[in-house]
Amino acid sequence: MIRYTLIRTVWVFIILVTVLTINFILLKNAPEFPPPDQEQRDIYYNRQVSDGFMTIVLERDAETIGNIRRALLGDTEAYTLVRNARYVDEGDQFRIYKPVPLINQYFFWVRNIVTDWNWGYSTRVQPNVPVWNVLSSRIPVTVRLNIVALFFYIPIGFALGIIAALRKNTLTDNLISLGVMIFISLPSFVIMTFLVLIFGYTLGWLPTQFPAADVTGSIRYTALILPVFGLSFGAIASLTRTSRAELTEVLTSEFLLLARTKGLTQTQAVLRHALRNSMVPLVPGIIGSFVGLLSGSVIIELIYSIPGTGRIFIRAMTQNNYDYNLILGITAFYTIVSLFAILLVDLSYGIVDPRIRMGARK
Amino acid sequence: MRYSEKNTPVDKTKFQMVQKDQKIYDKKFETKPIGYFKDAMIRFSKNRTNVIATIILFTMITLSIFIPVLTTKNYEVLESQLRHLPPRVPILENFGIFDGVRYVENQEVDITTIDPETGLGVPPRSLYRPEFIEMDSLINYNVACSTRIESCRGGVVSFTLRDESLGATFQSPERLTIVSSQEPKLVINVTEFSDHNGVSLDIKVDPAFTGNYETLISITEPGVYELDMANLLNNPSFVSSFLRFELTALEPRASVTIDSFKFYTNLQEEPVMDDFGYALSIYERVDGSARTPSRSGAELLMSSFRYDVYESALGEVERRNMASTEYYGIIEEFEDVCTKIDNPDNPNGWFFTEGCPILEVKNTSEPVVVGGIAYYSYHLVINYALYAGYDDIPYFFFGTTEAGHDLFALTWVALRTSLLIGLAAATINITIGIVYGAISGYYGGKVDLLMERFSEVIARIPFLVILAIAVAYVGPGITTLIIVLIVSGWIGVASVTRTQFYRYKGREYVLASRTLGAKDSRLIFRHILPNGIGTIVTASVLMIPLVIFTESTLSYLGFGIGYGQSFNVFGVEFSGVSIGVLLATGRTELLDKPYLTYFPAIIISILMITFNMFGNALRDAFNPSLRGSE
Repeated sequence: MIRYTLIRTVWVFIILVTVLTINFILLKNAPEFPPPDQEQRDIYYNRQVSDGFMTIVLERDAETIGNIRRALLGDTEAYTLVRNARYVDEGDQFRIYKPVPLINQYFFWVRNIVTDWNWGYSTRVQPNVPVWNVLSSRIPVTVRLNIVALFFYIPIGFALGIIAALRKNTLTDNLISLGVMIFISLPSFVIMTFLVLIFGYTLGWLPTQFPAADVTGSIRYTALILPVFGLSFGAIASLTRTSRAELTEVLTSEFLLLARTKGLTQTQAVLRHALRNSMVPLVPGIIGSFVGLLSGSVIIELIYSIPGTGRIFIRAMTQNNYDYNLILGITAFYTIVSLFAILLVDLSYGIVDPRIRMGARK
Repeated sequence: MRYSEKNTPVDKTKFQMVQKDQKIYDKKFETKPIGYFKDAMIRFSKNRTNVIATIILFTMITLSIFIPVLTTKNYEVLESQLRHLPPRVPILENFGIFDGVRYVENQEVDITTIDPETGLGVPPRSLYRPEFIEMDSLINYNVACSTRIESCRGGVVSFTLRDESLGATFQSPERLTIVSSQEPKLVINVTEFSDHNGVSLDIKVDPAFTGNYETLISITEPGVYELDMANLLNNPSFVSSFLRFELTALEPRASVTIDSFKFYTNLQEEPVMDDFGYALSIYERVDGSARTPSRSGAELLMSSFRYDVYESALGEVERRNMASTEYYGIIEEFEDVCTKIDNPDNPNGWFFTEGCPILEVKNTSEPVVVGGIAYYSYHLVINYALYAGYDDIPYFFFGTTEAGHDLFALTWVALRTSLLIGLAAATINITIGIVYGAISGYYGGKVDLLMERFSEVIARIPFLVILAIAVAYVGPGITTLIIVLIVSGWIGVASVTRTQFYRYKGREYVLASRTLGAKDSRLIFRHILPNGIGTIVTASVLMIPLVIFTESTLSYLGFGIGYGQSFNVFGVEFSGVSIGVLLATGRTELLDKPYLTYFPAIIISILMITFNMFGNALRDAFNPSLRGSE
């Protein structure tokens, strides 16, 4: 078991580092979008230098200066401009901010994160604000929303699955299965749009938008209802489907027949024997569903204007206004959360059901 | 033998030979044999719901192919006259739903249109033409307002000292003509003074045209004050002056609330000047920068009504500045029905016979002569339905979009695009998945281990990371869409294929073929794959709805395709509008035009539901382990 845990943990770290590295190298290699404002841009580039991502080169040769000037005006043959570098014309010299090789940038990036928890600075969404400061107020919003949704959907999904399995092939079961089919098929943005349309606008029971952070009172809680619903419907449907399938399988097994033969009532048999055994494959599934909820919440956040990480991600991805440092930070957050959820899933197999000795030698 | 003899009390002669004189031939089966596919078909069609779902699904696919081709309505060209028409469906319109009538709420009433009989007013003609307003649904009501517009009527006006100043002077917009012989009388109604120290309101006029304003009265308490102007002035017989009032106080931020200024003469009962509400609110400050007086208790007359949008957009429409070329184009096209009839009332204009899109020419501009030909610009009345090429006012089942496109046709176009992308991405994924899974499953061992680890890493990359990288390099569009859809989409197929290969690769026939010297590729493609392909493909059918799901989500977020984009597949041009794009545009107008959202949403929901049911049914039907179970 220890060996298995170790292997899985190391493996998750390998994947994490691989994903973050690929992400960093590919994004940093793409054309950059520094802050649009002149003053902010100066601050940004100087900080790039002090963080180690760029070096300053002074170009004093008159002929080269002329060539650079022509190149900046669009004559690409005169001089080959370095991509993502910045050329500041200071009259008799050019101050050039040149990016250091990507591999060095990568090491500085890792060093800054490890030593200072410095994830770089936002360039477009909130120029020159540290990425961590942008995210730290938004991560709790997203996490809270997803955890509320998690605690909302698990009991409902289980209950529906159990009811459907116990009343297999009756009207109740058919209705539940139909509902499952419908909600598993509907894209979450369709569900969310209809929820907002019906409960927000037509009936006016619930707010049509997430309130600002400083709003107090009951609206803070009522505003959570619609996004939680929007997130949960699909998850409820799939949990109902799997728990129904698992439970039906267990209900037909021999040990349940034995339990009935030795005199247990149907309720006792189901509660003590069937349910427990059907849980085994479900628990890891539930942990895994957190990942699904998390990526589904991007679209819910957009529709409902929730100030979470998903919405800031969409903003950082505005066309030709990309904020790479922020994107890196957000994707790192999503990657870390999803990989650790996956690690938990892997480990939970062994904990929930001791019969399964994962990774044990044959 | 002995034992049986002993225990057989039956007489041997009683035994009879069966079929003693008959020869036994092979008998034909009385029922037809049931093969793999037949069995699958039987099990597939046993479930009534799945059959219905499949029929609906294939009807939708057929419709998405034919409707964009066969429709007579426009879904490509911008036609702003037809924008935002609500849904209108024959038959249903008789029941009051989808009848092409929009309920318009909260429209400001143009006060001049108030009908003395009913007392109801309608919005200005430029916004809503009164002939298309259903008068029995028209209601008027007042809402509170505080803006300085004329239609915001009544209420009181508060004048406030701003910042740190202790005095301010305001002036009426028009001059007051005071003739002493006419018994001029000014009535001032002040309703409130603020609690500050020493607030006083001085009413002033300029009696001698010198610009020196003299105080008529100083008011410090609320109340109605009557000023006899004839006595208060130093007896000039005629004065024309602005009315001014000066607000002073010992403390800043003092304010005074005035109900009205009225000016009476003996010439008429009604006041000559009656400034209240709006008229009072436009008094400007003359000493220093202006500060908008605040109004309270004022009301704006609003109206709500049902408006026949179709008639107003497609019925008789007035057009100014139609160019000669267009005019003659229409005349030529409708040659047989367009005959000029003189208009006796209007020598500059003329009518046309019935059936002609142009109903009346009101007048024409001065001709511009180019190359000996006179060009006019026409001001005319047209029948827009005929002009746009419809015989009658058309039915737009789902309404129209911002650009005047028929949403019904557009929805099917969008569905076609979604299906096409779904099919394309699924094909790519299935191909990659089969090849990858085949290699991994066939060779096994180290190769399998490495390939499994690789696909695990790929599968673990969060979708948002792939999206971010793709968008950063190629920008939103069809390429990004395809990249995001296929980077990790093939992994499911690969694992199914791998399992199938593990299942079949040890079979005797494979071994036999190998002994005969067959190469790996032959074993894979001729022996193992054909056996597993049924399971692989049916398991992959569900990929198409999954891909459509992701595609619509991405397009909804704005990272996929969009309006104005189009892509080319084998020389056929496809529109860049998918269901996700339609929903994304509908989202911005969810409240006012919900039909822009709910029709595409219903269509994609039906598609997803039926596709999933079809896929599940197909998978179950072809699952060999369930064979003959029902």
